Amino acid sequence: MIGLLLFFAVKYRARKGGPPASKGPESLWVVVAVVLIMGSVLAAAGYQSFASTTNIEIPAASDSVTIKVTGFQWGWNFTYPNGNFAIDNLTVPAGQDVILNITSKDVYHEFGIPMLAVKEDVIPGKVNQLWFEVPDPGVHEDAIHCFQLCGVGHAFMIANLTVVSQASWEAWMGSG
Amino acid sequence: MIDLDTVSWLRRWITTTDHKDIGLLYLFTSLYFGMAGGALALLMRVQLSVPNNNFLSALYYDQAVTMHGLIMILWFLSPLAIAFFNYLVPLQIGAKDLAFPRLNALSYWFFLSGGILAVTSFFVPGGAAASGWTTYQPLSSPSFQPGPGPTLVYIGLLLLAVSVTLGSVNIITTILWMRTRGMGFSKLPMFTWFALFTTGAMLYAFPTLIAAFVLNVSDRLLGTAFFTSPAILSVPGIDPSILWDNLFWFFGHPEVYIVLLPAFGVIANIIPTFTGRPIAGRNWIIISTALVVLPLSFGVWMHHMFLTGIPLSLQESFDVSTEAISIPFGIIIISFILSLVKGRIQFKTPFLFVIGAVVLFIIGGIMGVFLSSPVLDREFNGSYFVVSHFHYVMVGATIFGLIAAIYYWLPRMTGRMYNETLGKVHFVISFIGFNVLYGPMSILSDMPRRVFTYPNTGDLGIVNEIATVGSFIFVFAQVLLAYNVVHTWFRGPASGPNPWGSSDPEWTTDASERTPAFDAEAAPVGGWIGQLASAAPAPAHGGAQNPSDGHPGHTSVRPFALGLGSMLFFLGAPFYPSASGVAVMVVGAAVALYTMFSWAKDDLRERFSIPDEGEERFPFSGLPKIKLGMWVFLSSEVILFGSLIAAYLFIRESVVGWPLASSIHDIPLGTANTVILLTSGFTMAMAVLSIRKGNQRALLLWLSATFVLGSVFMGIKLSEWSNLASAGFTITSSNPMYQLAASAYYFLVGLHGAHVTAGLIVMVFLMKKTVSGAYTKDNHGAVENFGLYWAFVDIVWCFIFPLFYLL
Repeated sequence: MIGLLLFFAVKYRARKGGPPASKGPESLWVVVAVVLIMGSVLAAAGYQSFASTTNIEIPAASDSVTIKVTGFQWGWNFTYPNGNFAIDNLTVPAGQDVILNITSKDVYHEFGIPMLAVKEDVIPGKVNQLWFEVPDPGVHEDAIHCFQLCGVGHAFMIANLTVVSQASWEAWMGSG
Repeated sequence: MIDLDTVSWLRRWITTTDHKDIGLLYLFTSLYFGMAGGALALLMRVQLSVPNNNFLSALYYDQAVTMHGLIMILWFLSPLAIAFFNYLVPLQIGAKDLAFPRLNALSYWFFLSGGILAVTSFFVPGGAAASGWTTYQPLSSPSFQPGPGPTLVYIGLLLLAVSVTLGSVNIITTILWMRTRGMGFSKLPMFTWFALFTTGAMLYAFPTLIAAFVLNVSDRLLGTAFFTSPAILSVPGIDPSILWDNLFWFFGHPEVYIVLLPAFGVIANIIPTFTGRPIAGRNWIIISTALVVLPLSFGVWMHHMFLTGIPLSLQESFDVSTEAISIPFGIIIISFILSLVKGRIQFKTPFLFVIGAVVLFIIGGIMGVFLSSPVLDREFNGSYFVVSHFHYVMVGATIFGLIAAIYYWLPRMTGRMYNETLGKVHFVISFIGFNVLYGPMSILSDMPRRVFTYPNTGDLGIVNEIATVGSFIFVFAQVLLAYNVVHTWFRGPASGPNPWGSSDPEWTTDASERTPAFDAEAAPVGGWIGQLASAAPAPAHGGAQNPSDGHPGHTSVRPFALGLGSMLFFLGAPFYPSASGVAVMVVGAAVALYTMFSWAKDDLRERFSIPDEGEERFPFSGLPKIKLGMWVFLSSEVILFGSLIAAYLFIRESVVGWPLASSIHDIPLGTANTVILLTSGFTMAMAVLSIRKGNQRALLLWLSATFVLGSVFMGIKLSEWSNLASAGFTITSSNPMYQLAASAYYFLVGLHGAHVTAGLIVMVFLMKKTVSGAYTKDNHGAVENFGLYWAFVDIVWCFIFPLFYLL
């Protein structure tokens, strides 16, 4: 569209001895064409978008790990099934669905892990959920950020994501 | 040379009600706010230029980010558009002025007063608001953001919202009712069409903003507990944050189109001038925009809330509605593009900015379609991708479009031509600077917005540094604009009456109405309406500027005084109960009340009168002007009360254990009071019917009956309140449910009571005028309008009574 715009702008620039201005094409078919083209492009985009929403839907809790996340001014509290908790470091098992139950102790925050493309609002009085799965163990420093202005410590609401193997996860859970 | 008489110069600008003068006031004031907002942006870019920077503290950065957003959107972009609405709409439709000139001046002074309050907040203890322009709750509640500064900002915002609402009523009424003979809708210039669409969207979007911020300010000043209180946060299921999200974005998304559409109006209006051929698909542009404004823009707000935990099905439907809204924009853009075909295009500065605006809008719009997807929103939400997106739309499309308007209509305003070379240089540097500034931001989808600093990881540092360089290039370009405008104004060469050879009416209307150059010689055809009253010939409006000859004049100091009084009152309010705060409030209230009283007296003596003009009024030819304005205003009030009642229901539905109405309220007394108010509706109807027959005695009788009934209603109301308060039903109750219920009850019933009280005051004025015999069978517009207002107040009560007393 931008190309078309610039092409017409240059092609029909005023020149000495050029043809006088006249009315160009203008009819119903242009509008119909635009509606059809945009409609089909958007329908395709919409279909993709709908199909991918299954990626958002929370999987069954049976074979997944559920961790409670509480945002506060200014940090993250992660509480594990065995009752242990950690500040600003989220530890998850590799290769398994992880469900986060997220809420806030004080104001509106937004929990996001850009490398996994997951994000959810963190709202006082409300529990929101998101899920993800990381295939390989590893430590991802500063992987977790707050994406909603929450006061002067907003820029420092950063946490690490530590992905451990199934074996060490189970050992750690047992230790609680 | 002219003897510079500062006093008369000041008097002119303070008392003017002329639409062109007020347009200029809007123009320069909004450009001033634009510079303030731009300065804040530069501070932020300096802070972000390198990782772990300490140029601004986190608190100052948060204030800058918040005030930058509020000032740019509400005190710069919209008022800049309103400046052109003011200046051009009457010229384009052949009206002498707007429908309600003093109301127009009042809108301007409220806009300025609100802006002064907002900017003042930087200088009070604790500083300005720092919770983002979106003002999310509960961060912006007094528990997390105490201090007078944010309160000043939010009150300023309310004044601005009132100003915009009044301005919209004015401009809509003008366009519908004041068109000259032959100016049917099919001939209406495109800019005026877009003015109509923009003000229409304003009329229905701003009431929700008012509702949200009235609740917010009520929490801050009166101690109600809509959004937070320690007791309420302990109630399970309470969702003050979601309530705010809904209210704010129901305003916030239409606001995007409110900001954008004026620029589209400029584009559609001036493309034909530079191509020499008519715009393509004029009717399709109009139909598409109408679709955007009314149904569509109010149906997409929840795409701002995909991450709040709303059900997936709701996310999907808002995905569809958001994609759907891009179709009309596709039609508009393709029409703009096809309008170039077979033209003879002259690349003057305004046209360059038009092309720039369209290009940047296409980029920004496509980024917007990405954001409509709930899944991609997980990737982009709250990141610099979003920042890049909305700056492409708001700076790219809107500001480029409005800069085109400045260049294009500058000759109309000054009688002088700007420097074309400098204009082109300005465009090139702006376009480069813009893309260097916002282009890199679009790849920062992993960098959160509104962070005051960031760690030195990956390419964050270099990308931000490039953006900062871009910001300085862009700002430098705007210095060229400022220089060009000022230079044109004082020293530009004469432009001739129609420098573009346009066929639009604003260039062909009487050139003697051309507004003020500073130097009479440069203005081509007697283009001088008294910049300096002493040296000026009589203005074209028949004494409009100098009412000293005893005839009813057009100047009035009342709008200025009312704006000043309101500003002082609200300046003091956040400092209550300190002595100096109270003193400022008292002075402000005195000025405001005295002004209202004098305004009414002006009307009693008919000191300010304007003839009804305009002949093309389809489809409202049967309706008097003021009545049409009243209907437009009331339709906006419906949204205000609707939003507030919806907020009340939202709070009520989200908690368990709301106290039973019968356990709190005296239902028989409330019922009796309802009957009294409804009876007053009947007596008011009788009053209107009597004067329609010309019976002045009966009018006075029925008006007095209405007044007595209304007063009794308010009396009973107050005694109810004192009983409730002594029974412990207060906003400070230790029972959180009582706290919530009392907040909602006192607020909504109180707001209705304020409407009744305002009605009682107006009734005194009506009765006084009736006694003096001013109303006759053919001339009783004020009574008719008041009848409408009173009926509206009755109807609102019909909703409030069952919702609070019976359920």
